[in-house]
Amino acid sequence: MIPSIGSQLVDLGSALLLLTCFAIVAQRRLSACVDLFALQSVFLALTATLVAFLTGIHHIYIAAALTIVIKAIVIPRILKKVIERLNVSRELVMHINVPASLLICGMLVMVAFLITQPIIPLGHLLTRDSLAIALAIVLIGFFTMIARQKAVTQMIAFLVMENGLFLGATAATYGMPLVVELGVFFDVLVAALIAGIYTNRLQDAFDSVDTAHLSELKE
Amino acid sequence: MLNLLWILLGGYVAGILLPLCLPRQPNAHIITATVPAIAATSAGVVLGLLGLTSSEPVTGSLASTIPLLTFAIRIDPLAAFFVLTISVAGLAASIYAIGYLQHFDGRASIPMLGSLFNGFLLSMTLVVLADNGFFFLMVWELMSLLSYFLVVSEHEKAAVRYAGLFYLIMTHVGTVFIILTFLIFFQAGGSFAFDTFRHPEQPLPESMKTIAFLMALVGFGTKAGIVPLHVWLPYAHPAAPSHISALMSGVMIKTAIYALIRVYFDFLGGQFPWWWGFVILVIGAVSALLGVMYALMEHDLKSLLAYHSVENIGIILLGIGAGMIFQTYGLKEFAALGLLAALYHTINHAAFKALLFLGAGSLLYATHTRNMEEYGGLLRRMPWTGACFLIGSVSIVALPPTNGFVSEWLVFQSLFLSFHIPDTFLKLMLPLAAAILALTGALALACFAKAFGISFLALPRSTHARHAREAPIPMRIGMALLATVCVALGLGPMVVVPLLDRVVAPFTGVSIENQVLALDGWALATVDVEFSSLSPPVLALLLGGLAVLGLGIVAAFGGFVKRRYYKTWGCGINLTPRMEYTATGFVQPIKRVFSSIYQPTVKLETEFLQESQYFAKRRRFEFHVEPVFQKYLYDPVLAFVAALAGRLRVIQAGSLHLYLTYIFVTLIVLLLFAV
Repeated sequence: MIPSIGSQLVDLGSALLLLTCFAIVAQRRLSACVDLFALQSVFLALTATLVAFLTGIHHIYIAAALTIVIKAIVIPRILKKVIERLNVSRELVMHINVPASLLICGMLVMVAFLITQPIIPLGHLLTRDSLAIALAIVLIGFFTMIARQKAVTQMIAFLVMENGLFLGATAATYGMPLVVELGVFFDVLVAALIAGIYTNRLQDAFDSVDTAHLSELKE
Repeated sequence: MLNLLWILLGGYVAGILLPLCLPRQPNAHIITATVPAIAATSAGVVLGLLGLTSSEPVTGSLASTIPLLTFAIRIDPLAAFFVLTISVAGLAASIYAIGYLQHFDGRASIPMLGSLFNGFLLSMTLVVLADNGFFFLMVWELMSLLSYFLVVSEHEKAAVRYAGLFYLIMTHVGTVFIILTFLIFFQAGGSFAFDTFRHPEQPLPESMKTIAFLMALVGFGTKAGIVPLHVWLPYAHPAAPSHISALMSGVMIKTAIYALIRVYFDFLGGQFPWWWGFVILVIGAVSALLGVMYALMEHDLKSLLAYHSVENIGIILLGIGAGMIFQTYGLKEFAALGLLAALYHTINHAAFKALLFLGAGSLLYATHTRNMEEYGGLLRRMPWTGACFLIGSVSIVALPPTNGFVSEWLVFQSLFLSFHIPDTFLKLMLPLAAAILALTGALALACFAKAFGISFLALPRSTHARHAREAPIPMRIGMALLATVCVALGLGPMVVVPLLDRVVAPFTGVSIENQVLALDGWALATVDVEFSSLSPPVLALLLGGLAVLGLGIVAAFGGFVKRRYYKTWGCGINLTPRMEYTATGFVQPIKRVFSSIYQPTVKLETEFLQESQYFAKRRRFEFHVEPVFQKYLYDPVLAFVAALAGRLRVIQAGSLHLYLTYIFVTLIVLLLFAV
């Protein structure tokens, strides 16, 4: 069966999301990371709009609009402010260096496809192939949280994970009910705020936003 | 009857919510906490009596969205009896609390205390009413947690926090075993409803029954305070506010007795191998004896009472154990008698132990200390408290005409009836248990001679005691209520026994009402009238008659003696409180006799005058009883757990990234497994 043009476009959008993930992993400059995240959110919104258009489910439009407003505009601003205030521009020390990270991320994508292999043929939505990509994005986001030390990067990684979940929800079920979607957006916003404050406190307490210092809290 | 249940639940819920809603105003808090509790416990008393007399169990249930859980209750005679027990003690404690809570103004949050108090009573009531294993575990846990919060209500003291932690850990260890017990039944029946526990689809194999027996014994035994699982009890019960101690010692530990009877006689169908009953009997005997022996060495009045709870749980278990042994050999009437004796002692102990704790609370209220050595001469200053405490003491040492005497007599009789058992070993063992019980009784008498004598008689030993004042009226009413219950239960076993027979009959299959009552209901017989019988009212009349006779003789022959009032002669020097017999001194002979059990350490320091080594300026005497169970049983276990935890600490590096990696790896592995 040859996939329809709509399905292929959705896959293209998902692939662009995945590509930005790799870019975030490879990027050392924090402000560039934030920009990449904003770009990823735009791709996400575009993919969601496409799905909404193809399926005629209207509430996905609202979710896409919210994605643009919150994830592409508001949260990047918060993050930029945090970066400015803390005066950290680069991820200097990494647990795992960039080439190794990229290799691991490639493996994670393979794992994601392996895991979703038995599930995907069961679905009959036009978005079904995106599920594997969504899982890959979640795993890469999680991995970035582990591999990077600065709290800001970890926040971005967390938000990337959230983007992956959003894509997964859209791919698997054409999006969650609108109420849930709104709740999730609110949660993400609050999480970003809290993490911003947490980073500031970290800076105050240790003169650094390196989360490795947190192990000093252990007695 | 369901209407009454709604009043009861509504009262407690009101008592939980109202105090928390009101603005800061101690009196309003006290009233909103106690009045609903009084209403609810009164409803509970009526509900219990109705449930005891009604022929069919009343059931009700609310479904829930959680699988396997239904909020099912069932009021059968056994549940009704325990509701009655809880409510009687709860009623007295609620009335008492009106006065006693004022004592806490500024020291603890009164609305919180009041709210927790109501919640505690509610959870205990639901424990005995629950008809679903899941629901039972929920309210059981609720009861444990609420009582923990009550224990630590004076949490600024380190000793209180220690007691609370100890209690919390022990009770949760116990709960683990209870959950395991219920899971065994669940596995056989496929449902948590108590009905499927009773009649599982395929009956439990013998080995599983044995495991269930042991698990239930450990699980509920921890709450009941059987030796050697009792160690938390003397810490936790005294640490709580006194009206709470009264409920914990008087009632809460009885929920474990309820559960044991429910599991053994109801779920396991009353079919046991002989050694089950024997194990219960041995634990009962050991608990009774060690409980009273450690109580004797306590000079903290509330700790002393707490140890006596261990003793009395032992006495109750002696009755249950004897009942189980008789059940094994098909001697159903005697089994019924043993169980009946145990239940009788249960409600009696609830009455007199609650009374004694309330009395101790009054002493604490008046003197601000729990140390007996600082009391003395309080009978004159606090006559009401003194009289009530005396009645409680007489009850707990089982002297006629009070209630403790009747139930202990019944326990003794059921142990003596062992000559009907075909097995020679048991024929010998049961009277041995009776002998231990006799020793226990004698030691209890010594203990309360000390407790009452040192606290209430002679001269005050401290300024606190000298300035003690009688407790406020609500506290006196609470104590007087329980004192009345003690005497009534002692004089009216002919009314009580038929009610208890209704509780026991479903488990043993025979009604012994007619065989236990003799002389048209004026006397109690031990099933076998030829063997022994007793009439408490006649006994009381005889005792009263003897007193009158004595006074008559004095009046007849001593009327001419001239009375002169003088100070007690003190060999020419004025008597001071320092010359009094101390509590420590009182128990020295017993300590010496049983030194192998106590393993006491004695420390004597003497400070001499500088001029001469022959004149002592000051002597200091200290002695401590070795906490044997803690040292040889609990400390090694604790050390082992601590060592294990130390090993496990390696994975807790405190690094955020490491924790994230744990989660990540787990996720990937699980996902790969799922494929």
